[in-house]
Amino acid sequence: MLQSLIKNVWVPMKPYYTQVYQEIWAGMGLMGFIVYKIRSADKRSKALKGKIFASDGWGRKTPSYLFRTRRIPVLN
Amino acid sequence: MNENLFTSFATPTMMGLPIVILIIMFPSILFPSSNRLINNRLISIQQWLVQLTSKQMMAIHNNKGQTWTLMLMSLILFIGSTNLLGLLPHSFTPTTQLSMNLGMAIPLWAGTVFMGFRHKTKAALAHFLPQGTPIFLIPMLVIIETISLFIQPMALAVRLTANITAGHLLIHLIGGATLALMDISPSTALITFIILILLTILEFAVAMIQAYVFTLLVSLYLHDNT
Repeated sequence: MLQSLIKNVWVPMKPYYTQVYQEIWAGMGLMGFIVYKIRSADKRSKALKGKIFASDGWGRKTPSYLFRTRRIPVLN
Repeated sequence: MNENLFTSFATPTMMGLPIVILIIMFPSILFPSSNRLINNRLISIQQWLVQLTSKQMMAIHNNKGQTWTLMLMSLILFIGSTNLLGLLPHSFTPTTQLSMNLGMAIPLWAGTVFMGFRHKTKAALAHFLPQGTPIFLIPMLVIIETISLFIQPMALAVRLTANITAGHLLIHLIGGATLALMDISPSTALITFIILILLTILEFAVAMIQAYVFTLLVSLYLHDNT
């Protein structure tokens, strides 16, 4: 199957893939870089959101939660 | 009702597996290739159409630009056939997805820009300043031309996405309105149905025009840079 793929696709298209489309391959690299940046930023923001609203396993709040909210002491 | 309108644009899955790749590859089946000199009617018509389009589109280019003929003809055939197949009821149109259109626009636009900077650096840089600009406007105009250059791939992708998505949404809405009006007032439903038919004819035209516009703009960017 690989041989038929090489014979029917690679051999006729070789001058295109190697010479004509060089700049398009560079453009595809640029597009891949943009996709990587967007995906990593999305992952980072989701992780940050999860961290801010999370609590530890013992039911205690995270330091950022304690920092963001007011502590009102109650005297009984 | 809002939920139903936008679910038709969700990427399709069959039993949990995404089949969007199969859907994207499907239009290629409709364009058979042949090694014969004299073909059957279908292939002859397709070859005649491709020849007509390629002669008209590539006539303005020099030898370097004409090496992109295969790419541009594949592009217009793919976008045209995908858009037209999307007009079938309940079908999925890959060109409604911005990710897909950006994936087509960014490499092609970047390819033309890199080609321009690599082979004709001075001319490519000269595009940032139109001829006959007054001296005190030069800094602002260079900034404006740079912004307009970087907006080109975004405009290409968003134009195609918005046109096809908006057309499909309108057909959904007016079809839904026709159905809802049939019980209330058949005469109004008839008018809405006539509007739906006219809109469908418009969408056929828009499908082909958007394919042509996308390819023509890429061809123009190529002409500027070769």
